[in-house]
Amino acid sequence: MNIFFLIILIFFSGAILSFIINRIAPKFSGITTFVTIAVVSFLFFTQVEINSITQFSLGGIQMQFGVNNYTYIFAILVLGLSLLASLFSIKYMQDNDRLGYFYSNFILSIAGMVGIIFSRDFISFFIFWEIMTWSSYLIVIYDGARSSRSGLKYMIFSAIGAYAMLTAIVSIKGSYGTFIISEAIENGAFNFTDHIYIPIMLLVGFAVKAALMPLHVWAPNAYSKSPMSFTAIFSGAMSKMGILGMGLVLASVYSHSTDENAFNVLILRQILGWLGGITAVMATIYALIQTDAKKLLAYSSVAQLGYIIVGLSTGTKLGVMAALFLAIIHAVFKGALFMVAGAVERQVGTTDMTKISGLIRKMPFTFFTALVSIIALAGIPPLGGFVGKWMLYEALITESNNYFLVIVIFFSSTAAFMYSYRFLFGLFLGQEEKEIEHVKEAPVTMIIPMVILALILIVTGVYPGILFEPIAQGMQYLGYSDVNWDMSVLVNVWGEESNMAYINLTIGVVFVVIFIFLTLKNLKGTRYVGTKDISTSGEIPTENENLTFQLDFFKPFQRAAAPLYKRSMDKIWNDLGNALEAIFDFTRRIYTGNGQTYALFVIIFLVILLIFKNTLFTN
Amino acid sequence: MVITPIHYIVVPLIAAFAIPLLSKIHKELFRIVPGIVMFYNIIISFVLMKEVNEVGYISEIIAGWEAPWGINLMITPFSGFLASLISVLGFLIWLYQYRFKKVIDVDEIKSYGILQMMMITGAIGIIITGDIFNLFVFMEIVAITAVSLTSFYRGRDGAEAGFKYLLIGGFASALILLAILILYTQVGTLNMAEIAEKMHTIPLGIKSTILILFIVGFGIEAEMFPLNGWAPDAYSQAPGPTSAAFAGIVVKAGIYGLIRVIYTLFDIEGAFDFLIIAGLVTMIIAEFSAVKQKNLKRMLAYSSIGQMGLVLIAFGIGTKTAVFAALFLMFNHAIIKSLLFMTGSILMYNSKDKTISSIHGIAKNLPFVSIMFAIGAFAIVGLPPFSGFWSKLYVLTAAADKEMIMLIIAILGVSIVEIVYYFRVVNKLYFATDIEHLDIFKPSNNSLIAMGILTITIIVIGFYPDLITGYLHNAADILLDRSSYIDFVLKANVPIQ
Amino acid sequence: MQEEFNEIFLKYHDIISLGVYGTAIGLILIGLYAVLMKKNLVKIVIGLTIIDAGIHLLFIGIGYINGGTAPIFSPGYEDAAKRMVDPIPQALVLTAIVIGFAVTAVALSLVIRLYKHHHTAKIDQIKSLKW
Repeated sequence: MNIFFLIILIFFSGAILSFIINRIAPKFSGITTFVTIAVVSFLFFTQVEINSITQFSLGGIQMQFGVNNYTYIFAILVLGLSLLASLFSIKYMQDNDRLGYFYSNFILSIAGMVGIIFSRDFISFFIFWEIMTWSSYLIVIYDGARSSRSGLKYMIFSAIGAYAMLTAIVSIKGSYGTFIISEAIENGAFNFTDHIYIPIMLLVGFAVKAALMPLHVWAPNAYSKSPMSFTAIFSGAMSKMGILGMGLVLASVYSHSTDENAFNVLILRQILGWLGGITAVMATIYALIQTDAKKLLAYSSVAQLGYIIVGLSTGTKLGVMAALFLAIIHAVFKGALFMVAGAVERQVGTTDMTKISGLIRKMPFTFFTALVSIIALAGIPPLGGFVGKWMLYEALITESNNYFLVIVIFFSSTAAFMYSYRFLFGLFLGQEEKEIEHVKEAPVTMIIPMVILALILIVTGVYPGILFEPIAQGMQYLGYSDVNWDMSVLVNVWGEESNMAYINLTIGVVFVVIFIFLTLKNLKGTRYVGTKDISTSGEIPTENENLTFQLDFFKPFQRAAAPLYKRSMDKIWNDLGNALEAIFDFTRRIYTGNGQTYALFVIIFLVILLIFKNTLFTN
Repeated sequence: MVITPIHYIVVPLIAAFAIPLLSKIHKELFRIVPGIVMFYNIIISFVLMKEVNEVGYISEIIAGWEAPWGINLMITPFSGFLASLISVLGFLIWLYQYRFKKVIDVDEIKSYGILQMMMITGAIGIIITGDIFNLFVFMEIVAITAVSLTSFYRGRDGAEAGFKYLLIGGFASALILLAILILYTQVGTLNMAEIAEKMHTIPLGIKSTILILFIVGFGIEAEMFPLNGWAPDAYSQAPGPTSAAFAGIVVKAGIYGLIRVIYTLFDIEGAFDFLIIAGLVTMIIAEFSAVKQKNLKRMLAYSSIGQMGLVLIAFGIGTKTAVFAALFLMFNHAIIKSLLFMTGSILMYNSKDKTISSIHGIAKNLPFVSIMFAIGAFAIVGLPPFSGFWSKLYVLTAAADKEMIMLIIAILGVSIVEIVYYFRVVNKLYFATDIEHLDIFKPSNNSLIAMGILTITIIVIGFYPDLITGYLHNAADILLDRSSYIDFVLKANVPIQ
Repeated sequence: MQEEFNEIFLKYHDIISLGVYGTAIGLILIGLYAVLMKKNLVKIVIGLTIIDAGIHLLFIGIGYINGGTAPIFSPGYEDAAKRMVDPIPQALVLTAIVIGFAVTAVALSLVIRLYKHHHTAKIDQIKSLKW
């Protein structure tokens, strides 16, 4: 049997199996999921050949499955992350009911993503896209009435995106006569001179999944309301499907750039870049005022996706490389962070940062993961986030001369420090409260995936070349030639080398030296000091006094940014929705309930038709 | 015994008269006999479809009078497909209701089975007849039985819905009769093939008047806006199985009438564009109205009207792909909307005031029904991998081939509205737990089987649409081939390949 | 006597046929008026039957041939086919009358049911199903 079909089949049977198993033995539902994904991952990485194509036809439409170097990057990302997330999920979801429902949708959404990666034609792409969408929607509303509103919002926005995409897809068929992606590109579907709306519609569709402003409003709620083990995938991998599509479309648009459409392309580039930049800034600002760790991470995800889109919008070699690199790194650290949030939620019962603090001693491994991931998120060397942002700045400054955008990105990136700090401090540092005394470290099956992700972050931070290799190959598929990379070296436009390993190693060495120095210095005479074991201005704090200052952490900042919070995109969309509902309510009043009115409608319709019959019908 | 198209009509008619007599023998017989008849219909369909696939056309002449003079029954891949669809649905609806109405006293059951059987017979008759007046007669059979079924429940507002239906239906029959009358004065024949052949002799003014009368007449049955005032009431008041039959069977017959008239009888410019506009308006208004509904069946009714609008649009585009898409849509709508009405009426049966808010969280008590409703909802809004996706895709492809980009956007925009109201219900079904449900009415096993068959069909077609696309392509070809229909009926009864 | 009648008939044929068509159309319009304007359910049903009657009359009128005979073949009148009126409209009208009868019966039974249920026969007061 063909390997692609086999993988899809395994996924679907895994989904059904985990549903059935939940009826018999709920414990094994999660394990089934893990095994399913593990089997698929094994098959994928051993059996699938890059650039092999399988042709088949369904419903009279030619379809193709296959993997190329570009989609391979995303395959690694999706399968790796979902494998770890499903392992994490086993214990995390243990005590919930309706596990069968959760896990079958979990598998289906991963099947959707893998299917998207396989698809070489638009129809199967769209089918898997929709499977991914509705299965993730079902998980968003897993929590019940509380989340049904955010679930509906997610579904509506996804539908807007998906249908924009479908419009483009059928238009490609209508105008260029094919559903196969590569043929469509060859026939000039994305040449941006005639049928400009086709790439734009596609980009709108992808932008919804990539949470680009102004289509991002579903994301914070959907990310924070679904179970964390799924959000790790949701934010880490699923949003990258939008990036996958955007990369493909943009690369083809840019490579078809001619003098004729140069202006259009420039506009597109600027609009996308700025939307990405604004998304990054606004989401960061919103992330700052969140008190719920999950929500903070959700907003942060939106912001990070903004960077990635900025990178893609440049269209330059370095920019796209930065975007893809950031995409992978973001998947890793945001996956890890959501797992951290999940672990905290499971062990403590809440992720409200005003309620918990000082978990560092209770959950050291979780803290380690959180620390490493936050370092990567904030873009502090020596971890991957730094590498990606460095490349992004360099691309923006040297290759597209978009200095204002650099300032915006830089601002958002700096502001990100503030919420990163809040996350780390709020959950793990600070005063140890009485309420969390009973808290223990998360179970080992939850620790393992988190720590693995943290280790990946460290390794890829020092040797980004591990990731550059597949990315460079993927970019060659997209049409970028001569993507230079070395294990840790990038060549910029002037031919200079930015040696990441060199930079990182230096920082690493300094870090280690200071660390060892401090440890050695403090080794002697170390004693544990409780948080209350201090005196402020001569007064010894009592047991109940809350010394943590995270409650009003950002008050001054919040006051300064207050005008920004007033006008949220969310409100605009809500108003629009209410207006539409009013229209719907008005429309149904046509059906008055009086039979005579209906009869009158018939006669009026008949008379109107008879009056206009000569204009309506001709020979 | 050789099975011919006449069996579709004669067997149910005989059964309808025999049932009251048979019920003297055994009480249970008047419930079983309609089922047997329905099943026999499936056999007829199976045999005839097989034959049609070999020979192309089947024409049966009734009472020895040959085509232009007598009445002939036509089975083409197109009408055969619809007749088979209706037969299968009819049987499933019977299976669904077989024990469903056990609670109601016996006397009414008697008429219920007969009425439903006659309604299905009438619908099949509309589809297979080759004579325009015969078509009118079958239309009236459908109308009268449908009205009686709508007002079947005494306690409710059934009579009101029935009266509105009858009032508007009366207009429909009057207008169709008038159209037939004018047509007869012009061509002097009632045979559809001969009418089609002589159509070009009629002056344009009269031709378009006849067409308008037909459009309004059939448009009432096909739920075209603004002729569909009766539909939401009738759907919401009729017993569950009947609502399913309305969506799956009666409307199909109405659409068939409209399409047969526009595609085969008339050769007139502008009719297709008119269909697109009428369909678009119908779809938009119906789907908008559905959003704020409190009664589930009424919501489904508006959705059904909206789907019919989409079918009209697809027929209006008029290319081969579009006709194929329209037939696929009709098929999908028949199975999916029947499933939704079947499951929906079981859900409604468990609510006190028949509103959506009173079935919150009922999925815990009725897991199978709820999941089937959810699958139906997913399928009708066109989410892959369910069958509804394919038909929507083909409609859009057909529109894209003609570069009707605004039409595509309108269809998809309305689909988003559809998602909103269907998913609201599914959400509430599963995730609102504020109501305790006591005394749950569980569906009987045979209704579960009937619904299960429909659900499985939806999923199987969704994964492998090729099962049905072959038939649909044949049907679309035949419908578009106007001259071969005429030739076959009038010139020589030689099968045309 | 017979010939005299025929003479008169032929003389005034145009007027008569005009009268038939006029009556038919008049009936249809009266029926329409009743259906659309009258509030009483029974009057609406009557309006429907009047519309039907008008259409039936129109049908018959169209089938008539000037000076035609009944469409019956019998020995000795082999040439009758040339003079007989068109039989098909008559057959159709028969069918349509039967159908109209059934529709009226159902309609009246519904009216009775509605009256029992709502205690009124005014159509604009019976709209518990709306929107």
